[in-house]
Amino acid sequence: MDKMLRDKKAIIIFITPAFLLFTFILFIPICQSVYYSFCEYKGLTAPQFIGLTNYRNMLKDKSLGFALKNSLFFLIFSCVSQLIMGLFLAALLTNINKGRNLFKNIIYLPCVLSSTALGLLWMFIFSPKLGINQLLAQFGIEGPLWLMDTSGFIILPMWIIAFVALWQYVGQSMMLYMAQISGISKSLYEASYIDGCNKFKSFIHITLPLIRPMVATAMSLNAIGSLKFFDLIYNMTEGGPNHRTEVLATHLYTQGFKYNKYGYASAIGVILIVLCLLVTGLINRFVKTENYEM
Amino acid sequence: MKSNRVGSGIIKAIIYLFLILVSVIYIVPLVWVFMVSFKTNAEIFTSPFALPESFYLDNFTFAWTAGKLGIATLNSFIVCAVTLIISMVIGSMAAFAIGRLRWKLAKPCMTYFLIGMMIPVHCVMIPLFTRFARMGLSNSLVGLMIPYVTFSLPVTIFIMTGFFESMPNELIESACIDGASIYKTFFSIALPLSRTGLFVTGLMTFVANWNELLLAMVFISDDTKKTLPVSLSKFVGPYNTNYSQMFAAIIIAIIPTVVVYCIFSNQIVDGLTAGAVKG
Repeated sequence: MDKMLRDKKAIIIFITPAFLLFTFILFIPICQSVYYSFCEYKGLTAPQFIGLTNYRNMLKDKSLGFALKNSLFFLIFSCVSQLIMGLFLAALLTNINKGRNLFKNIIYLPCVLSSTALGLLWMFIFSPKLGINQLLAQFGIEGPLWLMDTSGFIILPMWIIAFVALWQYVGQSMMLYMAQISGISKSLYEASYIDGCNKFKSFIHITLPLIRPMVATAMSLNAIGSLKFFDLIYNMTEGGPNHRTEVLATHLYTQGFKYNKYGYASAIGVILIVLCLLVTGLINRFVKTENYEM
Repeated sequence: MKSNRVGSGIIKAIIYLFLILVSVIYIVPLVWVFMVSFKTNAEIFTSPFALPESFYLDNFTFAWTAGKLGIATLNSFIVCAVTLIISMVIGSMAAFAIGRLRWKLAKPCMTYFLIGMMIPVHCVMIPLFTRFARMGLSNSLVGLMIPYVTFSLPVTIFIMTGFFESMPNELIESACIDGASIYKTFFSIALPLSRTGLFVTGLMTFVANWNELLLAMVFISDDTKKTLPVSLSKFVGPYNTNYSQMFAAIIIAIIPTVVVYCIFSNQIVDGLTAGAVKG
């Protein structure tokens, strides 16, 4: 028995395909990407080492500034809003019996739909002549150009995109919190009611501390998801007007595959990886706690 | 006591009202697109919110053929199905080696795979693209499947390892006593017993790859090889002026998922959540 499980040949056969794929498709390309970020590389000629020039160019790149600002806005907004809305919806849904599944399934639906299609859908809803503006026109109001407004620090289109993203992905957070809340033993709540807690108090003092590990998980998922964020923006505004709704991912795509600046795009990619690792590290350090016995 | 009950009744009513409002925000956009997709282009502007006058199906046929959404659906299906099968086989093999077989490097190996969960696709796209172009793999569905499989592996391995680890030892032992080889044990005992895990990971893989846009857009330029999100994104662009056709295209792209979701919604929601809880 033990001998069979220690069979070297079997271990190698089982692990090799995954290991090779991982190494060649993920690990080596990451290393290459880091190397390219120090190179002048346009795809036609071999990469040429130019040191930190790409990173220095970033300081001058105005659209990268927008992209970085928007990505960070997006990161913070989605972490906070998903936490609040997800918890709120989860708390509501665990308090009702009739129709819980129906509401849950409706709210979760956009999570499985293609964000390309949904992005286009919302693009039409907020387009100048259709959707909301048609509705406003019925009341004689001329609606604004939702996705083309450029005033303010965080411009209107960014807020719209952020809310659409919240609309699409809040189901995911909600489900994670619901799964955790339904795992909490009923006797804890009963004890708290006997001690004179009302529902709100027991939510604050029992539910919240007990779901903290899940908050860390859901937040890391949101954080990485929001840094990767590409589909909705590409389809709703394509980074426009005038690069004002660019995020890191769309900027990487335009620089790399529209202008063939592979070296520069790789440098953006490196920043993206660093941000991802940093944010997950921070969340795990400050939000995560040990699992309580439940 | 009675006033208390009335109070909680009011609270319940408020909760339901709020949830219904939320559901409306979720459903109305989808219904609106669905209705508009049956209208003619002129009708959209003359009577935007009325029911369509007649069910005008030309929009759909146009999007399906001229928009190349038909072939794109087929491509997407091929890519996702192949990716699903390969990543499940390779992933659960690796998970079995990590979770069940005994060797020193199992833990470090797991960590190595888990790092993949944190890496965004964007960062490896450029090296992959240039290498695949040299190898003649760009602009082919195979070239798309390889990275898809790779990026599906971390989740698959993570979830399946959990399943194999929690499997009772006696099962493996008895198979061993009956003279089954390790390969036979894996394929006819361990795999069938972790069907739930396979379902969960398969679902996650399929949904993720079915909706993936960026890699597909970069790797494939040939119209007949594009996947559904790419063709859709191209068809519904700023250069198209026929709105109702574009709406029909959106409907074509989401209707298969919506139908499948409506039938299996509980399993899908629970499966995906189980996957994410563990992930």
